Amino acid sequence: MNRHTILKAANALLLAGVLSVTWFAGRAFHRMHVNDPIYPAPGLTEKILLSRYHSALRSGPADTEIYLFSGKEKGGRLLVLGGTHPNEPAGFLAAVLMVENLQVEKGDVWIIPRANRSGFTHNDPQEASPQRFVLTTAKGDRSFRFGSRLTNPVHQWPDPILHINPAGQVLSGSDSRNLNRAYPGKKEGVLTERTAFAIMELIRTEGIDLALDLHEAAPEYPVINAMVFHENSAELAAVALMDLQLQNMDFRLEESPPSLRGLSHREWGDHSEAASILLESANVSHGRLKGKTSASLIVEGRDKNYVRAAARGLLFVPFDEAGIPLKERVARHLAAVRSLTAGLGDMHPDREIILHRFPSPELVREKGAEACLAPPNQR
Amino acid sequence: MPDYLIFLSMVGLFALLAMLFKIPIGLSLALSAVAGSILGGHGIALRHLIEGSFGYFDTILIIFCAMIFMKGLEASGILDGITSSLLTTFHRRKAGLLLTLMFLLMFPGMITGSSTAAVLSTGALVAPVLLKLGMSRVRTAALIAMGAILGMIAPPVNILVMIMGAGVDMPYIGLTLPLLILTIPLAVLFSLILGYRHIHTVGAEELRSILPSSPRRTQGLRTAVPPLLVFGWLLGQAAFPRLIPDIGIPAVFLLGSLGCLVCGGKFNPFKVTQDAVRDSMPILAILAGVGMFIQIMTLTGGRGWTVMSFLSLPPALLYLGIAVSMPLFGAVSAYGSASILGVPFILALISKNAVFTSSALSAVASLGDLMPPTALAGMFAAQVVGEPNYFKVLKLCLLPALMLLAAGIGLMLLAGPLDKII
Repeated sequence: MNRHTILKAANALLLAGVLSVTWFAGRAFHRMHVNDPIYPAPGLTEKILLSRYHSALRSGPADTEIYLFSGKEKGGRLLVLGGTHPNEPAGFLAAVLMVENLQVEKGDVWIIPRANRSGFTHNDPQEASPQRFVLTTAKGDRSFRFGSRLTNPVHQWPDPILHINPAGQVLSGSDSRNLNRAYPGKKEGVLTERTAFAIMELIRTEGIDLALDLHEAAPEYPVINAMVFHENSAELAAVALMDLQLQNMDFRLEESPPSLRGLSHREWGDHSEAASILLESANVSHGRLKGKTSASLIVEGRDKNYVRAAARGLLFVPFDEAGIPLKERVARHLAAVRSLTAGLGDMHPDREIILHRFPSPELVREKGAEACLAPPNQR
Repeated sequence: MPDYLIFLSMVGLFALLAMLFKIPIGLSLALSAVAGSILGGHGIALRHLIEGSFGYFDTILIIFCAMIFMKGLEASGILDGITSSLLTTFHRRKAGLLLTLMFLLMFPGMITGSSTAAVLSTGALVAPVLLKLGMSRVRTAALIAMGAILGMIAPPVNILVMIMGAGVDMPYIGLTLPLLILTIPLAVLFSLILGYRHIHTVGAEELRSILPSSPRRTQGLRTAVPPLLVFGWLLGQAAFPRLIPDIGIPAVFLLGSLGCLVCGGKFNPFKVTQDAVRDSMPILAILAGVGMFIQIMTLTGGRGWTVMSFLSLPPALLYLGIAVSMPLFGAVSAYGSASILGVPFILALISKNAVFTSSALSAVASLGDLMPPTALAGMFAAQVVGEPNYFKVLKLCLLPALMLLAAGIGLMLLAGPLDKII
């Protein structure tokens, strides 16, 4: 065999190796593009798509499901967003639990569990996040994707050098893919801006009274375990806070800063009549201090680095060996949604919303979200 | 195995492969990442390795396209034309020449936030001028690298601050003054320290003998079109974002390369592209390898351990920790350093003015572009001047880099008083 033949064989082998790696890795990435099933409760009135509010999204990667639950009586109108940042699973899961359990007696409730649907289809490079986490119900496992904070670059690319969001704020280019910097949205903008525009249209055309955006943040972030309210909903936030404190859930009240533009709590309130509130729980899995990453870090929320950081006063929430598990974070979101909805009715009887079969925060806190999840493949 | 042991094993293996066995750095990084993945109990975590390597996908495209542009400028003769013009204008004025060249060097970084874009665009234009006036290759490369780094942190576009700002919800407002305070005095100092005593003025006769043949004389002003197209577009999209669409830095460089083809002397575009691929492949491989390394480092807990170790330093040593850790972590990526370390450091210094703190931290993080193994600014500056050993360039950059570090730490320490004055 001469040198030329050996070189050709080596090249062919290398190419075959590259193709095999591409195939196996590609399969793992491709699986992220399949939506996990959500099993709506019988009380569901209608499942619609976001493109109803902006036809440019039709059949595209951002055309996410909206679950509408309408009561027999007219009342208030509530919108709940989970999955604005798909690497903040407590918000997504709280929304899923509502979809799978809720029955509305009075008023209307819109729930969007995967607000940035595209963000669920990938992970942030170098964050080493697991692609999925699993919760075990009495009748089997439910697996959920852990996505990225940003829209998938496969769906929106390239990032500009600088991004001026629809509210006029200058941001780094990658924030052009951040749904919670894209409000009030842009009809002819990039995909994330169009998504924000559609959500804004929903709020306006459906006359939403209370709009809630469920998030998580790292424990070293100052706005944590917090309720960030637009000034139009200060009183409602205060009323809900008192109710939550009676349930032994402490929240920090933060007024939406007028200089920080493009976020839901600011722009929803500025561009509609809706009382706008963003909720944050503490999640170690996307913190910068996290130790080994794994699905159990998401579910159990235990991390020895954060225990050390808490001891050194570097965190804005108490943190010990018990960690902050997913069930605690989901329960906090559910409790806040319940208290805010009740507060709306107390303050404005014409906007009362009566919810039956609301997933119990107490049960979730004690037994985990799996206690209120529908079993897999049951409906 | 504990997090730190996995991380230290990865670092040790990398050093062994790269230094003892002389395996290319990119491959050494990738192999160390694979070893870390196995030691962490993940087997060969294929998905993580591939995902990590995509962390610098956009940077890789910028480098690749900028390299094609640079080779196009050379092959079309446009570079010679620009060198002639600059020499003709400035051959008698050293200070004027150095300050003008420093501004030219900083300009692409100021509008893109990338030192690489600066080195591979105006760096390539400036290098022949300095070389013709007697500056050594190593010194020319050092000046280019430092100019590019200052451009990266100078306003209006400082991506490092934006990344840190996004992590603490700080709007990108009020940064111009602190960033100018940081960069302008240093720009003047660097150009004079590195350049003034090392170039000489030339008379008209000598000038004629050193001027390269300029296609500009034979083909008219249109040879200025490609560089003007690139810089005009980059400036335009930053200054008038609603008028000039942001098509991405790689596409702007490709437009410039097409411009070279149309406006300059004849050249073979396929050969130029092949040359660009060949020359940029080692650094592209390093970036892919670094991406894999960080992903596995995060997966196995090494990243968290590193961040916590620096944050755990007693308050008196915190600034020392910042001065050491941010440039060191910047060795893998200055942007990564801003995100992973910059955000916790801003939070650790939360009692100070975040605008000053983040400006200062960006100056410290930018030094990562001078840290091996990537040392993007140093490595490309060496390549631009044809210097095979980029460590010589880094050695000459040491003094200005320490000055920049001191300026950054100084601004951090003075953030409180300055907040009251400004």
